Amino acid sequence: MKELFSKDKWKYAFYTVSHPMDAYYEIRHRERGSVPVAIVLVMLFSFSFSINRMAASFIVNDVDPLSVNALPELISVFLLYGLFCVGNWSITCLMNGEGRLKDTAIAVGYAMTPMIVCFNIGTIFSQFVTEDEGAFYTIIVGLGIAYAVIMALMGIMQIHNYTLGKTLITIFLTFVAMFIIIFLALLLFDLLNQLYNFVYSIYQELIFRV
Amino acid sequence: MKKRFPFKRIMTSLLVGVVLATSPGMTAQAEDLPYDTYNYDYRENVVLTPAAYVPTGSITGQDLGIDNFVEPQDLCVAPSGEVYVADTKNNRIVVLDHSMTEVVRIIDSFVRDGEQDGFRMPQGVCVSENEELYVADTDNKRIVKLTPEGEFIKIIDNPQSEILEDDFEFTPLKVTVDYADRVYVIAKNAFEGILVFESDGQFTGYFGTIQVKITLWEKFWRKIASKEERSRQQLFIPTEFTGIDIDSDGFVYASNIDSEGVQGVRRLNPKGEDVIIKGESQNLGGDIFFGVYGDYAGPSEFIDVVYREKGIYSLLDRKRGRIFTYDREGNMLYVFGGLGSQRGTFNTPIAIEVVDDQIIVLDSFQGAILSFGETEYGSLINDAVALRYDGDEALAIEKWEAVLKLDENNELANTGMGKAYLTAGDNKAAMHYLKLGMNRKYYSIAFKRYRNEILKENLSLIMTVVIILIALLIVYNKFLKARLKAKSKKGGLT
Repeated sequence: MKELFSKDKWKYAFYTVSHPMDAYYEIRHRERGSVPVAIVLVMLFSFSFSINRMAASFIVNDVDPLSVNALPELISVFLLYGLFCVGNWSITCLMNGEGRLKDTAIAVGYAMTPMIVCFNIGTIFSQFVTEDEGAFYTIIVGLGIAYAVIMALMGIMQIHNYTLGKTLITIFLTFVAMFIIIFLALLLFDLLNQLYNFVYSIYQELIFRV
Repeated sequence: MKKRFPFKRIMTSLLVGVVLATSPGMTAQAEDLPYDTYNYDYRENVVLTPAAYVPTGSITGQDLGIDNFVEPQDLCVAPSGEVYVADTKNNRIVVLDHSMTEVVRIIDSFVRDGEQDGFRMPQGVCVSENEELYVADTDNKRIVKLTPEGEFIKIIDNPQSEILEDDFEFTPLKVTVDYADRVYVIAKNAFEGILVFESDGQFTGYFGTIQVKITLWEKFWRKIASKEERSRQQLFIPTEFTGIDIDSDGFVYASNIDSEGVQGVRRLNPKGEDVIIKGESQNLGGDIFFGVYGDYAGPSEFIDVVYREKGIYSLLDRKRGRIFTYDREGNMLYVFGGLGSQRGTFNTPIAIEVVDDQIIVLDSFQGAILSFGETEYGSLINDAVALRYDGDEALAIEKWEAVLKLDENNELANTGMGKAYLTAGDNKAAMHYLKLGMNRKYYSIAFKRYRNEILKENLSLIMTVVIILIALLIVYNKFLKARLKAKSKKGGLT
């Protein structure tokens, strides 16, 4: 555990930001990445997102601060993250992807770094801008998101050793897989619910009659 | 709205309530009201407000010593102050005095070319600035122009024009007249807009057509439908206007029923273009939040509009019996009124007018005129908005301050205070109030000035810090480089 959280691993997250292609290659083949760091980064992203919506200046922010709740947002971010990783893993398994589930988790988690940085810088910066300068705030946040998307794309491309076209197809299929997983999960829950009701009614019959 | 109050606070408020309720001489008007008074905040939540208008009475025909009104359809207040009621099913026009306590006269017939003539179902009535009476004589399909005393002047009927369909039947419902004696008529099945007649009775054309909105989806369905199917589909016809009024500049305010609930009123310039100003919410449709199922579902349906003064106008909603008041900038000022059978509520509200500082509403089913008097809250808002309309924002502060004492969530009042502080140069206070008023534009201006203020005051300090930082950076860089060099030398030696 200590090794997984070591200073080197943390530094490597930032190395990934500056050299995504090389870094993702080494994550796949030289074990330079760490899943716990990726999970912490996703968590930090969720918090930055909530803080940004809650605390960004009134001038650039139209969200009702009372409507922001960090905990449900954290849960939904993690659900999506987990779903994406599993979906991507299950698709790439069938499409000759070289990456493991672990690698996908790290690739996507590390890709959050620019968003964490930019959202927080944006939140602080927004305290000093007027309406006409609001565009700069939008640029900061937009850059963060764009860079994160590019990083995630590069990451998936590199860890599975894909071409760009194949990566895009896989990502599209990943979303399809995510929907299928959600659908199956709902079906399962419904069935379990019915089973529970069935058993419970038998139990009640027994209680009343015997 | 969803805030949870701590137990202690509930207990204290209960205690205060009990003390207030039991103390003698208190007028608990708000609790006695038969309707809710509210407004919408920036986030479109319903916020309860003090009442702006309270019911002050109702007048029926019996109270006046004449036969009861039977399904009256329109009201008009003459420049002289007399109130004209179109008592439709009794085929007469009843003229009341300014205080609406006595009948001045009843007009049910007139002498035309030496013959006795009368009305059939007159649904609209209007008195022009030159004190001439116009009656929309609906079932006789004509507009009758009379002197206020009921002497015949002229008849406007059977408009002739190429733009009218051959089988067009002129069935006037509502009528109004501007300063140049141009007559504006809302007629049945005239979907193209308001009919305009010159002072000599010549029909000049339609005015203020409401554009039909067709969504892409509907277009798509029409494309794939066969001719037969298409003929059976409902037609896309514009909604008709329901009520008209003319403001002091000669612009026509016309209400209509908008099925989307977005814009239920138009302000038409002399060319017939809509020049109404919408507020922050871009909504002039009355209720923003409404149910989807049940009797009271759906957006507000405006049946009449009255232009009051200083850009303020009120709209009468027949769906929930509410009266919505907006200012010139499209801000909703206050809402009051409701349907019901209690005193001060409506059954079938049909027309709205203003007499001095009273709002009077005609209820067709009850055959009564209900009057509403302004409260302190209402008059403060009216005054403040009027001052702002005249450009005296500085004078409006006192009014807004008083409004805030009665209703501290009032966004207009907060904005008004903020703007006043902004002109006075107190940027910090301005920021506080403008944020409460959710006025982003002016908040930004206040913030900019505040920021400059702070920069100016602390310029020397900021510059000193920056210079020190730069110096430190240079020193650090040199030191670092020297150390690195030393390191590499060492490395080179070993």
